[in-house]
Amino acid sequence: MIINKSEIAGLLDNLVKEYRVYAPVQKDGIVTFEQINEGTQAKPGATSKKPPKEILFPQSEELFNYQVDSQGLRMEDKIDDTKSVAFGVRPCDAKSMMLLDNVFHNDEYEDVYYTTRRKNTLIISVGCNQPASTCFCTSVGSSPFDTDGSDVLLTDIGDSYLAEAITEQGKEFLCKLNLPASDDQAKTKAEETKKQAQLTSEVDTTGIKEKLDDMFDHPYWESLYEKCLGCGACTYLCPTCHCFDIADEAKDCAGCRVRNWDSCMFPLFTLHGSGHNPRTSGKERWRQRAMHKFNYFVERYNASACVGCGRCIKNCPVNLDIRQVIADIKAQDTGSEVS
Amino acid sequence: MQKLTKEIQDTAKKLLEENKVDLVVGFAKGSLPLRSTPYFARTAEQAEELVWNQFCENNLANYLKKREEKVAVVAKGCDIRAIVALIKENQINRDNLYIIGVTCQGMIDRNKADELVNGKEILETETNGEEIVLKGKDLEQKAKVEELLYDTCTRCAYGNPVIYDELIGEEQPAKEPNFEDIEKFEALSAEERAQYLAKEMEKCIRCYACRNACPMCYCDTCFVDESTPQWISKRANSAKDNLIFQGVRVFHQLGRCADCGACERACPMGINLSLLTRKGVKDVKETYGYEAGLNPDDKPVLSDFETDDPQPFLMKE
Amino acid sequence: MNKNNPYLPIPMRLVKNFCETEDKLIHTFDLEFVNKEDQENFKYLPGQFAELMVYGQGEAPFGIASSPNEPGILKFSVAKVGVVSKALHLLEEGSTVGVRGPLGNWYPVEDLKGKNIVIIGGGFAFTTLRSTIQYLLDPVRRGDYGDITVVYGARNPGLLLYKEELQEWENRDDINMVTTIDRPAEGWEGRTGFVPAVVEEVAPSAENTVCIICGPPVMIKFTQPVLEKLGFTPEQIIMSLEMRMKCGLGMCGRCNIGSKYVCKDGPVFTLEQLKKLPNEY
Ligand SMILES: Cc1cc2nc3c(=O)[nH]c(=O)nc-3n(C[C@H](O)[C@H](O)[C@H](O)COP(=O)(O)OP(=O)(O)OC[C@H]3O[C@@H](n4cnc5c(N)ncnc54)[C@H](O)[C@@H]3O)c2cc1C
Ligand code: SF4
Ligand code: SF4
Ligand code: SF4
Ligand code: SF4
Ligand code: FES
Repeated sequence: MIINKSEIAGLLDNLVKEYRVYAPVQKDGIVTFEQINEGTQAKPGATSKKPPKEILFPQSEELFNYQVDSQGLRMEDKIDDTKSVAFGVRPCDAKSMMLLDNVFHNDEYEDVYYTTRRKNTLIISVGCNQPASTCFCTSVGSSPFDTDGSDVLLTDIGDSYLAEAITEQGKEFLCKLNLPASDDQAKTKAEETKKQAQLTSEVDTTGIKEKLDDMFDHPYWESLYEKCLGCGACTYLCPTCHCFDIADEAKDCAGCRVRNWDSCMFPLFTLHGSGHNPRTSGKERWRQRAMHKFNYFVERYNASACVGCGRCIKNCPVNLDIRQVIADIKAQDTGSEVS
Repeated sequence: MQKLTKEIQDTAKKLLEENKVDLVVGFAKGSLPLRSTPYFARTAEQAEELVWNQFCENNLANYLKKREEKVAVVAKGCDIRAIVALIKENQINRDNLYIIGVTCQGMIDRNKADELVNGKEILETETNGEEIVLKGKDLEQKAKVEELLYDTCTRCAYGNPVIYDELIGEEQPAKEPNFEDIEKFEALSAEERAQYLAKEMEKCIRCYACRNACPMCYCDTCFVDESTPQWISKRANSAKDNLIFQGVRVFHQLGRCADCGACERACPMGINLSLLTRKGVKDVKETYGYEAGLNPDDKPVLSDFETDDPQPFLMKE
Repeated sequence: MNKNNPYLPIPMRLVKNFCETEDKLIHTFDLEFVNKEDQENFKYLPGQFAELMVYGQGEAPFGIASSPNEPGILKFSVAKVGVVSKALHLLEEGSTVGVRGPLGNWYPVEDLKGKNIVIIGGGFAFTTLRSTIQYLLDPVRRGDYGDITVVYGARNPGLLLYKEELQEWENRDDINMVTTIDRPAEGWEGRTGFVPAVVEEVAPSAENTVCIICGPPVMIKFTQPVLEKLGFTPEQIIMSLEMRMKCGLGMCGRCNIGSKYVCKDGPVFTLEQLKKLPNEY
């Protein structure tokens, strides 16, 4: 189906009546996913500074309220099942949601806050005609027009978007919009667009999981972290990072339980009550970050926890580039491939 | 710049080869356009990686605290102000530090460059003296270096290092510190100021890059991380708490802030942090005639008490 | 565990807040289910833990010290270290607290059937070991297991937990209960010496035996070689780990050792399993 670019704002205006609509919005030079009230606010095709994971997994979220008084205990959880549409998601970010699904619905437990939002949110992605120089999605098993995680994928073919339904929900959604069918010309154009979308950045990740299997005690980690500030920029802005903290905000016996993003790059993240800390320096923390993304996550869920979006590269205050880290890891001698 | 790079490399190599130092902290070429990256050279060979250019934006004093080994640092004016302040606070042992001072005309603000090219991606740059060319796909934009400098740099009066063991680069013409930005802000109504700050603080994601990039922020446990008692909410969506975080940070920096802008440069969300830090710098200068990190021999101003110190916060004078 | 939302605690009533040790740093808490239904749903085995919540303060993970054959209550022994534990110590009997659990895995009590069991504990890390002993000594079950030997040590007599029960176990003949304190102390007539040395003296046979060990890191470090000398293989040694935890569900990402989440894949591991994981705990 075809959506004319000039009709996007109107289409979003209509959606807003029925759904909560999130779209990339530019404010003060920074693009973030926000709930919009009017179609004109949206800036489809822009890559957001903060990843849209925050739609499903907000940076700060109240899990439940409670109150204990003479009448006993009352608790109220706040599970958000508003029908929502995330419009203008990047394919890498859509893919990251599939990875997060593994985490928030594991073999034993279901995080109903996340899964309820996930079930009620349609993901409409826009493919990347012009990947940035920091994008390396094709090196980590994705691509500028990857459909994983999207319900609908839009391809920018100039004056309009070609819309493809990826899932059943996506199909139903598109049907309701009553859009004109795509002609052969548009289809050909879309195919060409997809083909010409070239990545300029590539890094060889083959065998990195196995390499890291033998690298826990490798001296490489001693030098890797040296310039790192131990801040939360790379992890907070990463679409696949999912660590969080749980805290209570309360006065006397009434309050709420809040969860906030947390980061493995912070020293307090693993500090025991006894004062012992299994990750004492940036060395252990950077190793955890690299291992989690390219070894532990692969071991658990059979995919690397990096979709190659490049946000950590662009936003690291000291220009510590994860592509270089991958390349360095690959280049280390682990002694295991001698024979 | 090439010449400075060469001189820095040679000095570093010599220091390492003669075992005068174990480590040289400087900058290497970055992986992105408009970026250099902090670099730790421990061998003469590694010293060849050192560079100097207008993208050396980080404050390297941050890496010098509580070091056991003998270290040399490639430091520009503001790095050295922080070093001076840190020596006074016993965070750096001057005897173990060799300062390769570099005179500085300012560093380029990558956000300004991005704004100039209006959303296009800069892939390459070329500097010819006063001019820089920003290049990319369908992009070739010339600009004056001066116009792209960080605001903290254009207002900085200390491009010439205040202390050093060796000086590299030509002496810069003297400048007066300039607080026009703060004066402008002070002239706004309280409501306008509050509004502006709220808007800035809404952007904060509490990544603490600002705090961690700051050479002068080194508390074992920052008050924002304290759990008993918990001073402020850990939520990032509370602009009020974010402002308390920055406000307290600025108070902790009074008379200590080197006005280097490292905090603002580190902020991924582009928050105008120097507005707050520089207000502190300006107030301390006006009240006590003191600027941090300029004189190795004086006492940090807030550790010093004179009976005739002005006390505008206690009574109206 | 709340079936619909694993973050919601169930309400429990604090029926006993008992100061367990001389230094007053450990209190034992008996909790009673407020809702009958919650009691029926709360099925656990020795070794599991729960998140204990003080309303208005927060929650923290603690090993369950009671045993499933003590129906109607849950028991925890808590050291005063931070926000939640301090608040717990101050709670009045009758107060409502929240409990989220049971969480984590358990000592493999099924696989232990037909085997001799050695239990080694030190300091206040005796909580889930108490649970295990109570469980094994249950008359309906005692016959399923071989010899039971327990070595439990503390710095001084005042720091031993569950003193009455220790006495009772010492008087029984279906369990070899060895209690020790680090150095001789006035009024103490029992054994003295550090746990590793006492284990060496007691010298339990490794034959068809499994050893469960729980205690401070130094104790574990020095007991391991003793066990090895006695012929215990890493498969025969079972340990319970502590990490900083928040969710307890394998999601918040902070308690991992390698690819394993201690909260969900643990906290109970055999030494054999631990040897395959990175040494980061
Ligand atoms: C599986 C398991 C079983 C356990 N079983 C038991 C048990 O049976 N009995 C028992 O006593 N303990 C047990 N523990 C340990 C217990 O969970 C910890 O001691 C826990 O930290 C106590 O919580 P708290 O809120 O009292 O302490 P916290 O407030 O969490 O903190 C403890 C210490 O860490 C510092 N700290 C914590 N967070 C921060 C922060 N954000 N910033 C700065 N400092 C911080 C505090 O200052 C304090 O000194 C167990 C742990 C696990 C994982
Ligand atoms: S963003 Fe950069 S400096 Fe900050 S923690 Fe990540 S790697 Fe370190
Ligand atoms: S690790 Fe970096 S490049 Fe990979 S998904 Fe996260 S932010 Fe993107
Ligand atoms: S507060 Fe900012 S400007 Fe001041 S010393 Fe720290 S990093 Fe530099
Ligand atoms: S660096 Fe910026 S976003 Fe991060 S905590 Fe500081 S002000 Fe907030
Ligand atoms: S405590 Fe959250 S993952 Fe283990």
